[in-house]
Amino acid sequence: MDSFLPELALLPAGLHDLLPPDAEREAALVEHAMGVFRAHGYDRVKPPLVEFEESLLSGVGKAWSLQTFRLLDPESQRMMGVRADMTLQVARLAVTRLLNAPRPLRLSYAGEVLRVGGAQLSPERQFRQIGCELIGSLDAAADAEIILLAATALTELGVRGLSIDLNLPTIVPAIFAAYGITGDDDRQLAAALAHRDTAIAGAAPDIGPLLLALLDVAGPADAAIEKLSRIDLPAKAESSRTRLIETVRLIRRAAPDLKLTIDPLERQGFEYQTGLSFTLFARGARRELGRGGRYRIGGERGTELRGEPAVGFSLFADAVLNAAPASAAPRRAYLPFGHPPESTRRLRTAGWITVAGLSPVDDPVAEAKRLGCPHILVVGSGEPTPVT
Amino acid sequence: MLADNDKAPARKHLIVSAQYVGFDESIVLAVPKGRILKELRPLLDRVGLVPSAEFDDENSRDLRFATNLPGVEIIRVRSFDVPTFVAFGAAHLGVSGNDVLMEFDYPEVYSPLDLGIGRCRISVAEQVDFSKTDDPSRWSHVRVATKYPELTRKHFAARGVQAECIKLNGAMELAPSLGLCDRIVDLVSSGATLKANGLVEVEHIADITSRLIVNRTALKTRSEEISYWVEKFREACSAS
Repeated sequence: MDSFLPELALLPAGLHDLLPPDAEREAALVEHAMGVFRAHGYDRVKPPLVEFEESLLSGVGKAWSLQTFRLLDPESQRMMGVRADMTLQVARLAVTRLLNAPRPLRLSYAGEVLRVGGAQLSPERQFRQIGCELIGSLDAAADAEIILLAATALTELGVRGLSIDLNLPTIVPAIFAAYGITGDDDRQLAAALAHRDTAIAGAAPDIGPLLLALLDVAGPADAAIEKLSRIDLPAKAESSRTRLIETVRLIRRAAPDLKLTIDPLERQGFEYQTGLSFTLFARGARRELGRGGRYRIGGERGTELRGEPAVGFSLFADAVLNAAPASAAPRRAYLPFGHPPESTRRLRTAGWITVAGLSPVDDPVAEAKRLGCPHILVVGSGEPTPVT
Repeated sequence: MLADNDKAPARKHLIVSAQYVGFDESIVLAVPKGRILKELRPLLDRVGLVPSAEFDDENSRDLRFATNLPGVEIIRVRSFDVPTFVAFGAAHLGVSGNDVLMEFDYPEVYSPLDLGIGRCRISVAEQVDFSKTDDPSRWSHVRVATKYPELTRKHFAARGVQAECIKLNGAMELAPSLGLCDRIVDLVSSGATLKANGLVEVEHIADITSRLIVNRTALKTRSEEISYWVEKFREACSAS
């Protein structure tokens, strides 16, 4: 065997190999989550990895333009894009091939996405996205269903200290419009709000006190709603507030112990959301586990709302993997050379992982340890015994 | 190269820490060494945070200090490193000038409170003689020596000027007179250092103060604790 070849090991930035046991854990976690989605009536779809650029990046997909890798299709001589987000593809399915499927349409998906640049806390450029989309309903019950489903899936995966932050990414644009803030002022104030900079936001003429009041809202849901209810909002932002309060009520009724916080000014990661959105955090996990919210299929932000209403979420499998507890060590037994393969089938049926020796060895116990097997099946005995 | 039957060399395992910062961990406050720390010290007293004695000992090699409160620790790092510790969740709270915050522009760092200390400004400066004939409206490309290459590039880009930044870690004021560049971007408080080196401010970029900063995830998942500390600092500031 050649010694380790560093020049073969180097991967492009943001891409990496998943090794045992993480590759297995990730696959199990994804299937577990998909099972939860299926049980809630979400049917799985599987769009392709690559699509024509103009369909992938149309409508809400425009937000992903700078994050999308392109390739030229030598067949059709057309430009293709590698998906940077699967929500767009599911949205396309909903209004094309599934146009006549009954509404509300519940779809789930799992697949790899590729992005031009990773985020600061997650330099990964390729990761697995899993999620659900609920298409064709404007009801608050749909928002609540999606948020509760995300929470249920994460809880079932063993994520502890789950905390859901509810956000109103459209409230800032609505307020800016009401106060006639545009161009440079818009950019500077939006940047200050992104950093929750009370010094700059509070100093803004006219709008300052309102922004300070909204900054002060952020925190645990009940206190936040109380504060938010007292704020005098422009008419255009009113519907967001009503929807938020109604959704919190529905979530509380179904899951009174779920930790909810509210931060009306959060816009990070909401490239195409048109209404109530949310970010999934777990205490102790460095970065968010996923996010979701309302959007319009075929609609664009900034213009009048049109297109079919939808709400959904996606989870980042790598982040969830880091937040979920390690699975219990598998029962793994070494079968020294000489066991007839068929005689050990019952062990696998009983849940054992069997690792067969390919040739006789002097010290089978040492060999079992070397291969990472905590158990060994001594020739002639029926049950594996622990190696000590 | 090893043959098949050679003994394999012992493998060194690279331990990559998981993206996990414990579960019931304490609160860590990152403070900058130097200038700002002197102004911050009385504020910490008013907040009721008393670091262990080594904290005030300039010769101490410790970087991590216990406080009078069991759940709160203080770390002392370089001012340019405070936002990085906070962005990655290694510290939950920090104190940092908005010059450094603008330079890094971490989306994971929130700055909810202006502490009103470390007041100065960040400006473009050039040699007095040169400034007499220089017309800023005609610039298309400038070469600038600075500790803040990102902030500088963004500032000039916003007015349509391409900035070639030479990153220096100190003694910026020397650069123009020795021909390294025509301009510098640096912090100015009294202007005395500029004057002593024959330089004059030609453009004001931003006013600088120190901010209390917090980690985004910590604020969302431990909002009560973090808000408590932000509030404590707010009270301490308004009392001063």
